[in-house]
Amino acid sequence: MHDLTENRSVLLKIFYPVAALVLVVGAWAFLVWFYEVPRYVMPSPSDVANHISEDWQTLVKGFGVTFLEFLLGFTLGAGTGFVFAVLMDMSRTVRGILYPILILSQAIPIIAISAALTIWLGFGLAPKLVIVALVVFFPVVVNVLDGLASVDKDVLNLVRSMGASKFSTFRHVKLPATYSPLFSALKLSATFSVTGAVIAEWTASTSGGIGAYLLQANSRLNTAGTFSAITFLAALGIVSFLLVVAVEYLLTPWKSGHKARRWSRSYWQE
Amino acid sequence: MEQAPKLALMGVSRTFGDLTALSSTELAVKPGEFISVVGPSGCGKSTMFNIIAGVLQPSTGKVLIDGKDVTNQSGHVGYMLQKDLLLPWRTVLDNIVLGAVLKGGASRAERDEGVALARRYGLGDFINHYPAALSGGMRQRVALMRTLAMHHDVMLLDEPFGALDSQTRLSMQQWLLSVWEKEKRTIVFVTHDIDEAIFLADRVVVMTPRPGRIHEIIDVPIERPRPVSSLTRPEFVALKQRILGTIYNNASPANEEAAPHA
Ligand SMILES: Nc1ncnc2c1ncn2[C@@H]1O[C@H](COP(=O)(O)OP(=O)(O)OP(=O)(O)O)[C@@H](O)[C@H]1O
Ligand SMILES: [Mg+2]
Repeated sequence: MHDLTENRSVLLKIFYPVAALVLVVGAWAFLVWFYEVPRYVMPSPSDVANHISEDWQTLVKGFGVTFLEFLLGFTLGAGTGFVFAVLMDMSRTVRGILYPILILSQAIPIIAISAALTIWLGFGLAPKLVIVALVVFFPVVVNVLDGLASVDKDVLNLVRSMGASKFSTFRHVKLPATYSPLFSALKLSATFSVTGAVIAEWTASTSGGIGAYLLQANSRLNTAGTFSAITFLAALGIVSFLLVVAVEYLLTPWKSGHKARRWSRSYWQE
Repeated sequence: MEQAPKLALMGVSRTFGDLTALSSTELAVKPGEFISVVGPSGCGKSTMFNIIAGVLQPSTGKVLIDGKDVTNQSGHVGYMLQKDLLLPWRTVLDNIVLGAVLKGGASRAERDEGVALARRYGLGDFINHYPAALSGGMRQRVALMRTLAMHHDVMLLDEPFGALDSQTRLSMQQWLLSVWEKEKRTIVFVTHDIDEAIFLADRVVVMTPRPGRIHEIIDVPIERPRPVSSLTRPEFVALKQRILGTIYNNASPANEEAAPHA
């Protein structure tokens, strides 16, 4: 009984997005056909599908390149942001010094810094990682700081009365309290990070990523190519987001269920 | 001869700037005794507990447990507050064994003992649940088991049932008494509810504010086990009147302001 309703809700979770996709593509195909829009202005879904099947290998390779830029840059930015937040939470002096840097990182438009980064760091992976990292960095610092500050003073008193050391207080009380706000920040910035990777590829378009592909197709007025790239970018955004959601699901079991998962270490069995 | 006290406060006081939160206080609690502490808000009850628990430094005085000076040392008593303070990311069992975890990890035996506690006190079906799935009364019981599992002879309970409705509260009081009888711990229990204070305790400590101090310690000569009906016995009612009188004559600011009218 219980399993049945659970299966149904999983099916619905898959059904709704698929239905939405079919609806959008259907409307697109219909409008292009109905208004007889010329191909070079707006290709139909089938034109795009044809283009994708013809240029499949380049697109998939580009997907891989951009995804790697996203993954490394995102991890780098989130990691740095996390460490910044912990340091800022520990000492008021550190907070005073780091806060201006933080605001600065947010105030500089990414497009503006993108060209400079290419000059400094070359045409390789490095400038792309920095730009993607910059996108996640700020939200992560702010949210993790919030999480660290949200720990109840009474909880801290309680664990102190239990004889907990500073380290074990951090490990068991403060650290887990940051997970929820951390993942809100990561979910919010996952798709923006993909945009960041694309912008970075535009300034140094030798990487062979989807952003570079898009730029090339655009300059040749190859609209089917442009829309193929957009399709892959949309997929990339969704994959990035789902990846964050999956990691969150694994690391915060208390948010998605009443009980510890059967295979987890905290699950007690006779 | 008097029994040597389990817990003793000797001249313990604490000031915050100009404010004397707790003026010089003497208290001796016998092994296995159940002491209630009552008094209006701000009379220094939590301050006293924080000092005993070693998380707040006293301005003067010493705290002794079994005759040993433990002033400013944490980890010697079990401490439980009004809020259950369960960690939402830990299961019931992992919350119960938190004391061991904080000191480097819970062993298999400690986890087994946590399970036994949960079963003995009616949470056997919730061992793997997260606190969010529990009712207020259940959460409070988990918090008490966490305190029990630390194996300290002395337990400080600061308004542990304050947030519960009166039905749940009554059953929790009885449950606490049964736990106390089984586990033979020494309990100091803060409450705002005078019925609760008398019903549970061997002695009631009455505190008054400005400055916070112990005004009086009253024996409760009602034999145990105490059925709920003892709440209406004449000696119970007389005690209650006496305590209420002490608190209202010494504490209520309204009383002071109203005094000229009388
Ligand atoms: N950290 C602190 N800094 C300054 N003043 C404090 C601090 N802790 C407590 N006080 C003051 O000390 C006095 C006693 O506080 P305490 O918390 O011990 O009262 P209480 O008897 O527990 O009250 P309640 O019944 O409301 O819990 C209060 O006037 C309070 O404002
Ligand atoms: Mg208090």
